[in-house]
Order: sequence, then structure tokens, then C-alpha cells
Amino acid sequence: MLEVKDLKVSFGGLVALNLDTFSIRKNELRVIIGPNGAGKSTFMDIVCGKTKPQQGSVKFKGLELLGRKEVEIAKLGVGRKFQKPSIFSGLTVYDNLLLGLDGPKDVFTSYFYKLASYDKDRIVEVAEKVGLIDDLTMIAGSLSHGKKQWLEIAIVMLQDSELMLIDEPAAGMSDVEAEKTGNLLCDLSKKHSVIVIEHDMKFVEQIAIEKVSVLVRGQMLTEGTFQEVRNNQEVIDCYLGSANSAQQKAHS
Amino acid sequence: MKNKISIFVAFLMVVIGWTQEVESYSIPLDTCVNVLLHKDATRLKEVATCLVTNDDIATYPLISAIVDKRLFVYKGTAVTKFPGDTLYYSVYPKLETISVQQEKLSEVNFPRSIRTKFNVLSKKVNLVHPNKSVREMSFRSFKTTGVLSDVDFLTSLKINEEEEEVLLAADEAIYSIWLHSNNAALQNKVLSELEENMNVHMLDPLLDYVALKENTNVEGKERAKKIIENIESREKTINVIQNLFSGISLGSILLLVALGLSIIYGLGGVINMSHGEFVMIGAYTAFSVQQFFIGFLPESWFDLFFWASLPLSFVVSGCFGLLVEKLVIRHLYSRPLESLLGTWGVSLILIQLARTIFGDVTAVKSPEILSGGINVTQGLMLPYNRLFIIGLTLVMVLLTYFVFFKSKLGLKIRAVTQNRDMSASLGVSVKRIDSLTFFLGSGLAGVAGCAMTLIGNVVPNMGQTYIVDSFLVVVVGGVGKLIGTIISALGLGVLSKVFEFFYEAVYGKVILLLIIFFFLQYKPKGLFPDKGRHSDD
Amino acid sequence: MLKNKIYIIFILVFALLMPIGYFTGLVPINTLTLWGRYFCLAIAALGVDLIWGYTGILSMTQALFFCMGAYGMGMYMTLSNLPEGQFLPSFMVWNQVTELPFFWVPFDNFSYALVLSILVPGVFAGVLGYFIFRKRIKGVYFAIITQAIALAMFLLFSRNETMLGGTNGLTDFKFFLGFDLRDTSVKFGLYILSLLALGLIYWYCHGLVNSKFGKALVAIRDSESRMRFTKYKVTHYSVAIFMIGAMIAAVGGMLYMPQTGIITPGRMDVQASIEMIIWVALGGRGKLKGAVVGALVLNLMYSVFTTVLPSSWLYILGGLFVITVLYLPKGIVGLVDQMKEKLNSMFVKTA
Repeated sequence: MLEVKDLKVSFGGLVALNLDTFSIRKNELRVIIGPNGAGKSTFMDIVCGKTKPQQGSVKFKGLELLGRKEVEIAKLGVGRKFQKPSIFSGLTVYDNLLLGLDGPKDVFTSYFYKLASYDKDRIVEVAEKVGLIDDLTMIAGSLSHGKKQWLEIAIVMLQDSELMLIDEPAAGMSDVEAEKTGNLLCDLSKKHSVIVIEHDMKFVEQIAIEKVSVLVRGQMLTEGTFQEVRNNQEVIDCYLGSANSAQQKAHS
Repeated sequence: MKNKISIFVAFLMVVIGWTQEVESYSIPLDTCVNVLLHKDATRLKEVATCLVTNDDIATYPLISAIVDKRLFVYKGTAVTKFPGDTLYYSVYPKLETISVQQEKLSEVNFPRSIRTKFNVLSKKVNLVHPNKSVREMSFRSFKTTGVLSDVDFLTSLKINEEEEEVLLAADEAIYSIWLHSNNAALQNKVLSELEENMNVHMLDPLLDYVALKENTNVEGKERAKKIIENIESREKTINVIQNLFSGISLGSILLLVALGLSIIYGLGGVINMSHGEFVMIGAYTAFSVQQFFIGFLPESWFDLFFWASLPLSFVVSGCFGLLVEKLVIRHLYSRPLESLLGTWGVSLILIQLARTIFGDVTAVKSPEILSGGINVTQGLMLPYNRLFIIGLTLVMVLLTYFVFFKSKLGLKIRAVTQNRDMSASLGVSVKRIDSLTFFLGSGLAGVAGCAMTLIGNVVPNMGQTYIVDSFLVVVVGGVGKLIGTIISALGLGVLSKVFEFFYEAVYGKVILLLIIFFFLQYKPKGLFPDKGRHSDD
Repeated sequence: MLKNKIYIIFILVFALLMPIGYFTGLVPINTLTLWGRYFCLAIAALGVDLIWGYTGILSMTQALFFCMGAYGMGMYMTLSNLPEGQFLPSFMVWNQVTELPFFWVPFDNFSYALVLSILVPGVFAGVLGYFIFRKRIKGVYFAIITQAIALAMFLLFSRNETMLGGTNGLTDFKFFLGFDLRDTSVKFGLYILSLLALGLIYWYCHGLVNSKFGKALVAIRDSESRMRFTKYKVTHYSVAIFMIGAMIAAVGGMLYMPQTGIITPGRMDVQASIEMIIWVALGGRGKLKGAVVGALVLNLMYSVFTTVLPSSWLYILGGLFVITVLYLPKGIVGLVDQMKEKLNSMFVKTA
């Protein structure tokens, strides 16, 4: 589904990402974890066309993504949810979803667009799924942080992207909300490939039904199941600081 | 060789002139003057005819005074006063300054019929004018009207002439006359002279010479063509240098204005449309200081006013900037479009305020030391005031650089520019830094305004002329980048002068705007864009 | 209910009371003409609101497009007002022009002039917009660049060589479509025409902003990148609304022309565009009502203050800029809404 090779990007001399290889299958749910500044969001930025890397290749369904514009990549079937919720804060929740709805999106169709009943059904369906059905007439900007996250996920869902890049979906959510989000993501992965970036280990445990990748200082440290990763000494060092390894070095 | 000939000729002239004087005065000169001063109507015509036929240099000042209607009599002597001059001169027997009591001065007027009698001498009389530029002009007039018989006379005048420009003009006149004579030897002499010392003022006579049909000196024509070519190519070089120079000086002003603008925009994401008005305030500060010096301080101190107003402009504009920041802009950080509208309003108010206080047009007199310029070579002068502006800009840029990159304040300013919230949480007093930066930025604009009084009038909307250009400088340079601002300011300054040179000013400007437009197609974030991961929304 | 009240008041005053006043002789015809002009400016303000209020693009070329429309109409009127036997406008004769420049020729025909006056600004805006938006130049950069373009066009229009009358512009008309412009009934007709045009364009804009296209515009304002990641070609949308706004402004300009009888380059400078923006800001950006209210209120104030206290106008205008930006982010319309809400809540509490 997604094949990444030799990806390298640096900002003003600082290497932000140096990824030898990375790939996910169709309908896989992959979680990427890693400390701050590990290059997780940068990785997503590259895949969806927001950032241009110095070298490398990113293939989606066999097509090279690098060098394409955001809209093209989105049209190929890559959806993105940002770390900071990016929604249309001046519009109602309903209008947000309407704009997210898959279909022709050129100027003329929008200009002469008439709401079809199946479109409306689809919007209601997704709104129910993410739990925004009672907020359809609310102005999106006035939603709580958690609901904004859901709204953005809903927009990505309505787009029906084959690959969804979800950046920190549970940030700012209560445990109950986070669990609901987790279930939603697991559910999504039945029909879509999903990549999730997350910090909250409890949340990661819930959604890590498949592989977890650990990104540190721009490089892939390890990949494996949640248990494997959790017991990996290197990963522990990274998260708990290098105190352990420093001690070990001192002993030897 | 040339000198020897001219000395010889001059010697001849003196001898001839002397003998002439002795021989041909039908009426003695003193008598003539007396008749004129007493307006003895019976002899006026006779005296006038006599003066014309005698054609004596000594009488030229007198004649020119009569023709220009500025002859006075003071205690029996003929006195005159030249336009643009406060001093009085005696006109006969010698032209020299004289102190007079104005109330004892009486004007002497002559009817038109008498004045016109002197018309034949009119082109000569100003050759002995006390003002050197008038002399220069009247020598130049011989280039087209002179005839071979004038040469001797012109040469004789050169002996007592001290001013270089006038001597040059005299040479030009003589050369032109010789070129147009039918004497091939004289022509060749001029050509050899010009081959050695090019003179742009000889371009027209040379062109006439080449075009002259009756001219049979084929070899001379070829030589003349060559000289013309050389002069023209030299002119072109001079023009290029001159344009480059004025481009750099325009760029310097743009830079002074844009520097503050760029810093402020980088710091707070504020588009300050009233920045141009701080320029205007700086200029009016200079004007006010000038008025103060005129009104309250001894005259000999006057030239100091400009130096006093430079730092004062900085402070006054800075304080206005501070005020505007506190009242309006403080609420608009990181809202560039709103700040654009709000500060536009501020600028309208400031302009109207200036108009109410100072009226429409005022001017500041440049200090004596900055008038004139360096004469690099003939036809190429670099005016001191523009040189001063370039130097001033250099100093201000260096100071800004120092404050920005070598001082603690600069460190804090850069920190706030990069991340306002983070700086605040690290204990930087963001509000204080905002105010200080605004003070500095507006102060720089004030200095620019003060400098601009050297080259133009002070008008209420003078800031508006530069504001669009300064914003373009910021956009082209990349926001908040010192080096980008410097390069783009100088670049735009030079380019706009170059285009103005090739096309008319308006079209030059339009072309420049088009170029910027296409440049931004190629580099939408300017010459030095910010690098790194940053969110767009 | 309250929402519709303002429309009813508007129609009552301008479509009923004013004409009645005119026919009964209570309202002089010049007052009506003045309001007719305001309507034209309000039309242009609607364009500003679409571009800036809804889409969030601060453009400094709106006055330029307004003037393009006015110039188009002016060219037609210049040619149709030529005295018998004269084939060239007098300013061309003075400039030693012997033949009508090619771009003047179609303006001899009213229907061509009508179409071109809208089309030319539209195409100009399209090309300009395409080049700017393509490179994602927006926000402040867009404002500054369009400001420079407006300046360049102002300079070009002011030249004699561009054959548009130089700084004097186009003026001195007696007839419009064969009607005598000094005739009061013609003036009244133009007033009604402007009112109708304002109504029609308002209705059109209303439909536009409530369509999916209109929602997309607001979405671009709120989060351009989200729009891109949601498969929308933001550039196309921006160019489209820029063109629509330009053409709306041009219509305003075309109607403005016969009512003022003069158009000069001075109407298209940067200040004119910024003033249009402040009309919308004061009225209430992002609300069509706001644009109309702002344009009418500010122009009325302009007329009043420049006659009563000419030197105070710039202070007032400048002050309004500052106050609007600092204290009235939603403009007059927003303020009224807020006050209504407060009143309502007080009402509810006491009840």
C-alpha cells in the first residue's frame, strides 16, 4: 500500500527524518510512537505533500507521491488529520461535513451543487459514528477540543481515503473519549489503511492491534507488536532518558 | 605651445587695445560717464554712439547696467547691483564692490531708444559680469554666434580670468569659432586639442562641423567623427555611473524606511501602514528644529541645526511610534490584515495633523557643508547630500546589525520574533521588547525622514510615496531578514533608476512592478525565506 | 423575524418613501442621485465582502475593477456624445491622434460596451489571480502585491499615451443612450436602475454564499490547508471568487458613471480600495448586509462631513479605521446583533 525508501529531509542542516524503509499493508492499522522531535509529524507531512524532502521515494499503490501537490495526493486517496485540529471553524459542523463529503470538488460542481438525499444520509451516518449527531448546527469553532478532533476525523472519513494519516487523535481527550476514538480507529482499519501517531501509551495499547513503529531522532528504531516494543531496552532508554545506558557504559 | 601662442596673442591685443583707446575716443570716457549719470539729454545719443563704436571692456559693466535698468548714482559715481546679490558695485572706472548708504542712492533710467543703441554689444557685456556662471553662459553663447573676429577679444579676456569653468567655456567658444572658420589649419588645431582633452560641451559644434556641407577638410571630418564617438561613449559611461549612484542613494532611503518596517513585521506580524508617517514626522522634526534655530539662536549656529535634528528625529519619531504601538498596534499583534487597516487609519490622522499644523509645503535648507559635491570628472558630480545619505544609511544599518546580533536586547528581539509565547514563558518581558522594537523601527524611519529633507520638500503625505515601495522591499527580501532587506532595497533602488533611465519614469515603475510580480512567482517567500517546519494555518 | 426587518425597512425607505418624496417634491432629485451613487458603491462593497469577508483575501484592486467598469461605460458615453462630424474625443485630438485606437472601437456599440466593461475586469482579475494564487501568495503578501498592481495601473491610466484621458479622465457627457442626463426623470430612472441592480446583485450574492461554493469560500478562509487535504483546488476557488468580485465591482462602476458624469484615475488608487475595505469592515465583514450598510453609512458620512467640516473628514475616517479594527470586529451589523441578544436575554431573565 505505502512503500517508503531512503527518505531524507533536513531543515537548515538539522536532519529531521532519515528513513531507510517503511511500508504498510492494505487495511493495516499502524501506530507510530517516538519522543518529541523524532520526525513523526514530518513523516506525515511528506506523505501528504506538505513538506518536500531532499531525497527518497514514497510510493502509494505503486505511484510516486513525491513531487505531487497536496490536492493530487488527496485525490489519490490519502487523507490527513493534523495534530492541531484543522477544521473550518466559521462553518457549522454540518457544513464542515458537507465539504468533506467525497465527490467532484471543482468550482462548477460546487457552484451548482444541490443536496442529494444520499449525501445527507451519508453525512448523518458519519456524524452518528463520531458522535457529533447532536451538534450538526453548532459552529465548529465553538466545539470542545475533543469534538474538534472527532470532526476532523469525520471529514477524513467522509473523504473515503484508502490511507488515513491520523496525527495524535486522542490529545486533549478524556479517557472515555479516547477509548471511543480508539474503537473508531480500529473500526476504520477494517476498510482503510490507517497510520496513527500517538504519545499516550494507554491509548496506544488499545489501538495497537497490529504493528507499532518507534521513531527516534528521525530514524526507525524498531518495529513490532506492542508487547515487543514495550520490552525493547532501546525503546525504554529512549523514553526514560539514557541514564541506564550511561550507567551500563560506566560499568563496562 | 598653446600657452605661448595665447600669451603672444594676448600681448598683441593689449598693445592694439591700448593704441585704440588713445586714438579713437572722440569724447573722453570720463565725460561720457558724466553725461550719462546726469542724463544730459542733448548729448545722450552722441555719447551712446561713441561708447558703442569704442567698444571698450572698461565700459561693459556700465553698459550692461544701463541695458538691464539697474544703474544708480551714488555721490557722483555710477553704481549697480546684480540680481541675486546684496552687494553694490561701482561700475566705472573699475568694477568693484562699494559700500553705500541706500538712502543716498538714486536710480538712473534711460529711454528705450538709448538702451537699444547698445544692443550690438549685448552679447559681450556680460563677459565681465561678477558672477562666474553668468560669465560662463555668455562665453558659451559665442559658440553659436561668435565669428572669427571675436576670437582675439575672447582670448584677451582669458588673461584675467581665474575661474576654471569660465576658462573652459572661453576655450569652447574659441574652438567652436575656429571649427566653423574656413581655415583648415585652425580646424586641425582644435581637433588635435580635442583629441587630447575631451569636452562634452564640444559635441554640438563637432556635430555641426561634420554636417557642414561647405566643409572640404575630409581628413578633419574623419577625426571629428572619431572624437564624437569617444565623447559619446564616455557620456554613456558617466550616465551609467550617475544612474547607479542615484540608484544606490534611492536604495539607501528605501533601506532606511524598510529596515524598521521589516523588523516590526517580523516581530509582531504587524503591517504598519503608518510607518511612512514616521518618516514624515522625522522630516517635520528637522523642519521644526530649523525654525527654532532661526528664531532663537544666533545666525552663525544655523548650520548646526541639521546635526541637532538627526538624533532628535530619531527620538521624536520613535516616541510617536511608541504612542501608536501603545494605543493601537498592541491589540493587533499577529493579525496582519487588521493591523494593515488600523494603521492606515492612523496614517490618515497623522497626515491630516501635519497638514493642520504645518500647512501644505515646507522646505528645509541643507547645511552649507552638504551643498555641492565631488567632481569626479567633467560631467560627473556626486553630490555631498546624497553621499551623506548613503553614509548615514551605512552607519544606521551597522548600528542595527550590532543591536540585533551583538546585544542582549537584540537577542531578546530575535527570540520574540521566533516565538512570542516561548519567550514570554522564559521570562522575556515581551511587552517591553515590543515597545522597544517599535521605538527603534520608528526611529529609523524618522532618521530617514530627516535625511530626505536634504533632497526634497517636506510635505504631509511624503511618507506615502515610499510606503508601497518599502513594503515591496520587505516582500522581496523575505520577512524579518536583515540581509534580505538590504539586498532588495539596494536592488530595487538601482533597478528603478536604471529603468527610469531607459524608459520614462512611469513606465520604468510599471516594468519594475511587473518584474517583482514575476520574481514572486519564482520565489513566493522572497529572497531569504524562513526554513523549517511550520504550520500554515 | 428580526432578520427580515432590515430588508423591509430598506425597501420601504428606498423603493417607496424616496420615490414618493420625489414625486411630491419633498425630496430633491439630487438627493436621489446621491443615493443612486451610494448604491453603486455598495455593489462594489458586496464584491469586497465576497473576496475579503467570506474568503479572507485582502485585495487592494477592488477600486481598480470598479473603475474599469466605469471607464468602459465612460468610453461608450464619450463616443456616443461626440458632436456631429467629430470622430475622435477631443483629448485625442489634442494629443495629435488621428485614428481611434483599436481598443476604443468596440465601445462605440452599447451592447459590446456593456459586455466588455464586465468581461475585461473579469479576465484581468482571472489572469492576475491565477498567477498570484497559483504560488499560494496570500494574506499580507497578497495585499501588498495587489497594492503595487493598483499603483501601476493608476500610473498607466494617468498617462496620456494610454488614450484614456490621462489624469483628467473621461467626462463631459450630455446624453446616455439618447436620454438627456440633465433631465430629472432620467436621473430618477438611473436611481431606480441602481436600486434594482443592488437588489439583484445582493440576491445573487445571497444565493452564492449559501451554496456549497460559498461554504467552500469560508472554509478557505478558515483553513486553506484543510481544504487542500480535502481535495479542493483552492487556487481555482480563489481565482473564481476574485473574478466574481471584480465583475460585481465593474457593474457598480458602470452604473456609477452616468450618475457622476466623470471618472478619473484618482478613483482607483490604493486609498480608494482600502476605503472600500473599511466600508465592509465597519458594516460587518462576512455579512452581505454589513457590506451594504457600511458602504451607505460611510458614504453618507463623507458627504455630510466634507460639506460641514471639510478638514475634519480625514480625522473621522482615520478614527473609524482604528475603532472598527480595535472594537468592532464584526462591524455595525455584528454590534446590532449583539445588542439584540443582550436585550433578549434581559427580557428572558425578567420574564
